[in-house]
Amino acid sequence: MALTLMLLLPLLGAVALIAIPGDESRVERGIALGTTVLTALLAVVVVTGRHEIDAPWIRSLGIRWHFGVDGISAALVILTALLTVAVVVHTLAGRFPAGGSGSTFLGCILLVETGALATFLARDAILFFIAFEVVLVPMWVLIRSFGDDHVPDERRSDAAGRFVLFTVLGSTLMLVGILFLVHHQGTSDLTELARLHGDGISRSLETAIAGMLLLGLGIKVPLWPVHTWLPPAHTVAPTAGSVLLAAVLLKMGTYGIVRLVVATVPNGLAALSPVLAILGVVGILWGGLACLVERDLKRLIAYSSVAHMGFVVLALASGSDTGLQAALLGNIAHGVVAALLFFVVGDLKEQWGSADLSTVRAGLRDTSPRLGVVLLVGLAAALGLPGLVSFWGEFLALYAAWSPAPDRPVALLRVCVVLGAVGLALAAAYSLRVARLVWSGEASGAAAEVPASSTAAGEAGRASTTGAPTVGAPAEGVAAEGVASAGGAVVDARGARWAVVLTLAVAVVVLGVLPQLLLGVSGPDAVRLITGAGVLP
Amino acid sequence: MSVSVDVAVLWPALVPIAGLVLVLVADLVVPRLRRVPYAIAGVASIATVVATIPGLGLGGGSARSTFCISAAAGASGASGAAGAVAADLPQTCLWQADALTSTLQLAAALAAAVCIALAWPGASRRRPADATSEPVEAVLLLAALTGTVVVAASRDVGTWLVALELATLPVIALVALSGRRSAVAGATQLLVTSLVSFALLVLGVALWFAATGSPFLTPDAALSSGRAQGVGWFSYAPLGPGETATTMSGAAGATVVAWPSVSAGVLSLGVVLLLAGVGFKLSLVPFHAWTPTAYSGASTPIAAFLATVSKVAALAALLVVLRAVAALGTPALITIGVLAALSMTLGNLMALRQDDVVRLLAWSTVAQAGWVVMPLVSVSALGIGASATYLLAYVIGTLVAFAVVAVTLRERPDGRDLTAYDGLWHRKPWRAGALVLALTSLAGLPPGIIGLVGKVVALRPVIAEGWVWLAVVAAVNAVIGVAVYLRWLRGVITAPEPTSADEALPVTATTAATLATEQRRVALAGLVVAAAVLVVVSVQPDLLLRLLG
Repeated sequence: MALTLMLLLPLLGAVALIAIPGDESRVERGIALGTTVLTALLAVVVVTGRHEIDAPWIRSLGIRWHFGVDGISAALVILTALLTVAVVVHTLAGRFPAGGSGSTFLGCILLVETGALATFLARDAILFFIAFEVVLVPMWVLIRSFGDDHVPDERRSDAAGRFVLFTVLGSTLMLVGILFLVHHQGTSDLTELARLHGDGISRSLETAIAGMLLLGLGIKVPLWPVHTWLPPAHTVAPTAGSVLLAAVLLKMGTYGIVRLVVATVPNGLAALSPVLAILGVVGILWGGLACLVERDLKRLIAYSSVAHMGFVVLALASGSDTGLQAALLGNIAHGVVAALLFFVVGDLKEQWGSADLSTVRAGLRDTSPRLGVVLLVGLAAALGLPGLVSFWGEFLALYAAWSPAPDRPVALLRVCVVLGAVGLALAAAYSLRVARLVWSGEASGAAAEVPASSTAAGEAGRASTTGAPTVGAPAEGVAAEGVASAGGAVVDARGARWAVVLTLAVAVVVLGVLPQLLLGVSGPDAVRLITGAGVLP
Repeated sequence: MSVSVDVAVLWPALVPIAGLVLVLVADLVVPRLRRVPYAIAGVASIATVVATIPGLGLGGGSARSTFCISAAAGASGASGAAGAVAADLPQTCLWQADALTSTLQLAAALAAAVCIALAWPGASRRRPADATSEPVEAVLLLAALTGTVVVAASRDVGTWLVALELATLPVIALVALSGRRSAVAGATQLLVTSLVSFALLVLGVALWFAATGSPFLTPDAALSSGRAQGVGWFSYAPLGPGETATTMSGAAGATVVAWPSVSAGVLSLGVVLLLAGVGFKLSLVPFHAWTPTAYSGASTPIAAFLATVSKVAALAALLVVLRAVAALGTPALITIGVLAALSMTLGNLMALRQDDVVRLLAWSTVAQAGWVVMPLVSVSALGIGASATYLLAYVIGTLVAFAVVAVTLRERPDGRDLTAYDGLWHRKPWRAGALVLALTSLAGLPPGIIGLVGKVVALRPVIAEGWVWLAVVAAVNAVIGVAVYLRWLRGVITAPEPTSADEALPVTATTAATLATEQRRVALAGLVVAAAVLVVVSVQPDLLLRLLG
């Protein structure tokens, strides 16, 4: 019951918001905030109570309305529900992006949440596919209509179109793979498929199915040669869209690999694991190198996402339960860290008007210490600093790939581990590059007079908005934009937005110190999944 | 020999005929009526919908049959026992309506009713001297509907051919009557195409008769292709149904004395010719050339009729043949696979370049026709059910899209340009919602769940046959299809520029004032009905899927 309610609530909220033609009035803000908070509470109830629902839906196709939560999906469900609350709070605390009514914007966010929750909870392969597709149109609207209004319309259109077309190609290929699997196993129940664990399919067919599924899901992850949709989408998307894209949508790809490939066609995955490992490592290096020269801050973080997902894929290629654990942990870690970074960078871009790193600006350290600190935490996490959440995912991934499951090519995986370690060094290099340019503002050292004037302007901006934090939001933006041309000073985070980023930063540290919070949840189910004992919901 | 007739089973065909006669009589008594013929036609199509309902609940291969010819005297008509593989029954029925047939009939009748609502005439004619064409149009619409209903249930070659042409020819006249100059070009192209298609169909039927010696399009007739009774140039070969499989594979058994493989070959050739003939009507590539011309020449409601009712007729006709052949356990048909792949690809690529929404929908029809026939690569109950399911999903989506275009055209004369829909979300949220649902359903994306389920259903038989290349072609085409429909949707959801909105408003106001409000209301009602069906089947796709067994 709680589970159905949890899925229906954001859906109904979205329908209500989209059907209401008006603008961002009090009612719509209330609906959006109320539904997301309630959904998050229900998500906690569902995950702690391990709820499940199983009802017939499309009888003639044997598709059941079957949702349930287990150790694999529990953390992702919570992450999605809480991040949506964060996104809505963050959106309501500032200006709505231009391009349409605010209620449509909120409705699209809620629709993405519905689709993502349904994907993580689906216990039926075809239902999984349908839920996987639900997020596409709302996300497309978020990028297409509400995207960065500083870039020309064609670029928005191009980024949004690329996102949809790549993802649809991926999901349709995945559907072909799913249908092959379902046809040969005679059931579309994921629990049953995981229990069969590839029995009854010839090895070559298993490899073909795994290839099809990996190709399809790899686009979503995104895996190295098919990642090209991600940077433009992130660059153009509004802050809320970027956060959801990085923290929720990408997770659907890796989750799909775990649920559909690792659990159901293990031999196929084993056969393809060298390819997977190589692509993962190329992604790590490619992303890292791109980050070293990238000038747009949002694009840079998008490329760093490619690198981080490379670690997750490398962990999955190892085939051991440690690897699976590392992948699940890395997934969550990237979700939290990428969300934090995109919130901060989104704020900066909103005020700067662009996210171009070559523009000389005053350092955040001087102008807005709060944003500066959380940005540092995010960057430190991105470079894999021990004690922060990303460290465990990446360290465990390398460890698992060094000593993989017996049927994996050890030498190749060890070479990949070495290259992956080089990727970690690259991550340190680009993180520090961003910290140097943005946090300490060293690029501005060349123009000596700029810091002084910008600090003054920053003071002015701060003074003009201290009185009314929320009502004055547009004025704040206008003031900041005016200042940005002078030197790039930024009004510091405050109020709800500060609470959002601070919470995420705290989560990065807490989960980094206590990774067993996550590992303990996913541990037993990960072992069962990898051995084919079947995952009980 | 006796023929039994059960009128109760024939209601779906009799109702539109009765409506047709009624229109003619009304026109005879009171000429120059304008709305009454349409009202009669509308009521008749709705009554046809009702008449098909008793056939929907039939399950497990049972059918409502009539015109049964049996050797024994006094056979009962609607015995409901003529199963799909009832080869041992002593009777053959010329009319069999099982759940699948009834569903197709229902879809055709419902689509016809919506098209009639969209084409609802105004109260006053443009010039006083104009001849009233409304009774003629109503008669033609009902005739085409009758043909569609009959062809779906026909089980003998004569009825099948006549009914298929009855479903086609009136539409040509309807296109020509649309009055514009381009309409004549469209109608001519359609006519030439239909003649070629008819020639192919007749040839195919002749080959069928030559191979099977039976005028019936039934499984046992197809199974008898090895025996070839009553045909002069084949010797008698006593083959049972069980042995036919060996015949099909070409390894002739010892009892076969003459050319059973030739007979099977003739049958295959006949089926391929029938496929080609129907392919013209389904606008499969390379038989598609008439589609954009005819659609853009015709008025929008007639284009909608062509895109929905005519397609139902064509597929229903094809399914009659393929269900008969399915009993042979024919291997998958490569021809269908190639036609499907070509249609999808060309249709989608061309649709991507259109700026006129009707032409876009025309090319989208070509692409969707590929999806409709793709499941038929597996000549089996699975493939046939999947094909019908996809057709219905397509019909519902297309109908709603056309209805939105028709309603928009009543408000602004430039309603056929893609740019006329810019900012529709902000001007007319409900109508934009219907359009979004229709286009996403055609693209196979949520919220148009039925289109998504249709894609799943359509891919299943392909997978079952193990045709990876076709599945991959379909996957790529799903992507291009999404690009096609999102190109239209992109304008719908974008906020209008303030200047363009200011320009558009006075135009809308003046044209809306000149047009009769009743005309608009009826068209809107048609849109609402179609959209409601789309919403219902999107929430619970099982309602649609279960109808088809």
